[in-house]
Amino acid sequence: MSENSVEAQGICKSYKSFLGRGSQVLKDISLEVGSGEIFGLLGPNGSGKTTLISIFSTLIFPDRGSMRILGLEAKRNRSKIRSQINFSTAKPNFPWSLTVSESLKHYGMLYGMHGSQLSSAIEENIAAFELEEQKNMKFEDLSTGMKQRLSLAKAMLNRPRLLFLDEPTAGLDPEMAIKTRKLIRRVHQEQDISIVLCTHDMAEAELLCSKVAFLRRGEVVALDTPQNLKNQLRLGERLVIFYQGRVDLKAVEQVPGVLAQRDLPGRAEIVLDRTSDNLDMILKLFAETKIQDIRISEPDLEDVFLELAR
Amino acid sequence: MSWRGELNKYLASAYKNWIISKRNAFTLFELFFWPMISLFSIGLLTKFLQVSQEMSSYLIIGAISLTLLQVAQIDVAYVLLFDMWSKSIKNTFIAPVQSYHLVFGALIFGIVRGAIVFAILVVVSRYLFGFNFLAGGAMPVLIFLAGVFATAAFIGMTVCISILTFGQKADVAAWSLSGLILLVCGIYYPVEILPEPMQAVARVVPLTYFLEYYRSIFIPGSHNVMMGAGLALLYLALGLILLDGSIERARKTGILLRLSE
Repeated sequence: MSENSVEAQGICKSYKSFLGRGSQVLKDISLEVGSGEIFGLLGPNGSGKTTLISIFSTLIFPDRGSMRILGLEAKRNRSKIRSQINFSTAKPNFPWSLTVSESLKHYGMLYGMHGSQLSSAIEENIAAFELEEQKNMKFEDLSTGMKQRLSLAKAMLNRPRLLFLDEPTAGLDPEMAIKTRKLIRRVHQEQDISIVLCTHDMAEAELLCSKVAFLRRGEVVALDTPQNLKNQLRLGERLVIFYQGRVDLKAVEQVPGVLAQRDLPGRAEIVLDRTSDNLDMILKLFAETKIQDIRISEPDLEDVFLELAR
Repeated sequence: MSWRGELNKYLASAYKNWIISKRNAFTLFELFFWPMISLFSIGLLTKFLQVSQEMSSYLIIGAISLTLLQVAQIDVAYVLLFDMWSKSIKNTFIAPVQSYHLVFGALIFGIVRGAIVFAILVVVSRYLFGFNFLAGGAMPVLIFLAGVFATAAFIGMTVCISILTFGQKADVAAWSLSGLILLVCGIYYPVEILPEPMQAVARVVPLTYFLEYYRSIFIPGSHNVMMGAGLALLYLALGLILLDGSIERARKTGILLRLSE
């Protein structure tokens, strides 16, 4: 299927207080999510990510703008769209006293699933998200990681063509976060679905997403592949020199191509536009010191995030 | 979608309410404790006041009606209350379900629970207070119960509408609206003794007509059960339209997100 999974044009949203005072959370958002893509929505807290993902999933409505989800005009086809998508929320919650398998059964029924189709979907997802041992545990007794896995299992129940994940690794320990990212990747590969992923974990976005949009104060400030964003912003490469002795870092700043420098105890961090051209000039300035180690690293999405969030 | 899939969308709410109720010890209070307290207090009052058999029937019918109304309406309201309390409302409204799936699914469970409570109260009132609820035959009982459950569905929907409009604090409506019904629609006294404006309110509540109908079997009097049935159908339709409207509004204002936080 070649159509885009999401096509949004001019989406605006504001929340009004009881007295009618409004605060605009999304301003004229236009973007497309390609079929089969993992698309990242990145941005600091309060940038409008959750509101945007909630609008895309038809949970809430925009004030203005138009959307096509899976090729269907969103206003006229909400029910059809909802049957083909699903959502896993940040800090997932389910009715407390339902067990894992009862929760999945309840939500499967809400999607109109029945009989062997429902029971095999429950079993498959319990196995896929490694919840066999917890299937008879009540939601209130699950750990944060298990709740997150249950939320993902629920999101996959109806075999959605488009999946919305709102901070799927928030609150998880590093091991569980890595496991969850692997599960997302596996689900994406095996089931060939499109995923819109909300996160402020830049490493996660870089690992999973083929395209990302940065939101700041309700606006898309950048939209491209992670690599293109790093190139476009000319963030430079980071050179870290560990040394003993004295060096005039003011002189380092004068070297062509040096974008920034930071003097830290026992090391200097230098951001270079083109490391290869000027590395020798910089190292000459450290000639009187004892260099212990040199590390050069590519900029990552964290650097893009910090640059864009400024 | 197949008819079984469609049926499951209704049964989903009944299934959830059933599981939550069976794991909650306080369900026993809703099913046995409060209904018994209500019936016993009214039954004993009739003995103390040495009222006539007719008056005793009048009051016991009122007590049983109010209890059934409370049990069934809270089950309809629970369809949203349980989601709101557990902050899982997003998961319900992201699914391809309509308001009528949720309301009628929950009502199915409310009717089952109401029927259990009714059976218990009928037996107790027969043996302890000498009142035979089934004296008029099965059909009048079914008509009367249909009226009570339809009124309960409308009250339950009103609770859901209040929550979706005003937020979490509006859950108090779940326990207060049936109190209003107690006041205006002649549970323990004829509506004629109410002040004129309240009588007008009583005349637009279907339960008023169903109570008059059922009491006419035991105490001769006039009734207009067709009016009650018409109002009940009108309110069911109106309730669904208003509930749809409040869901749409909650999606526009974003209250659905706030109810999940």
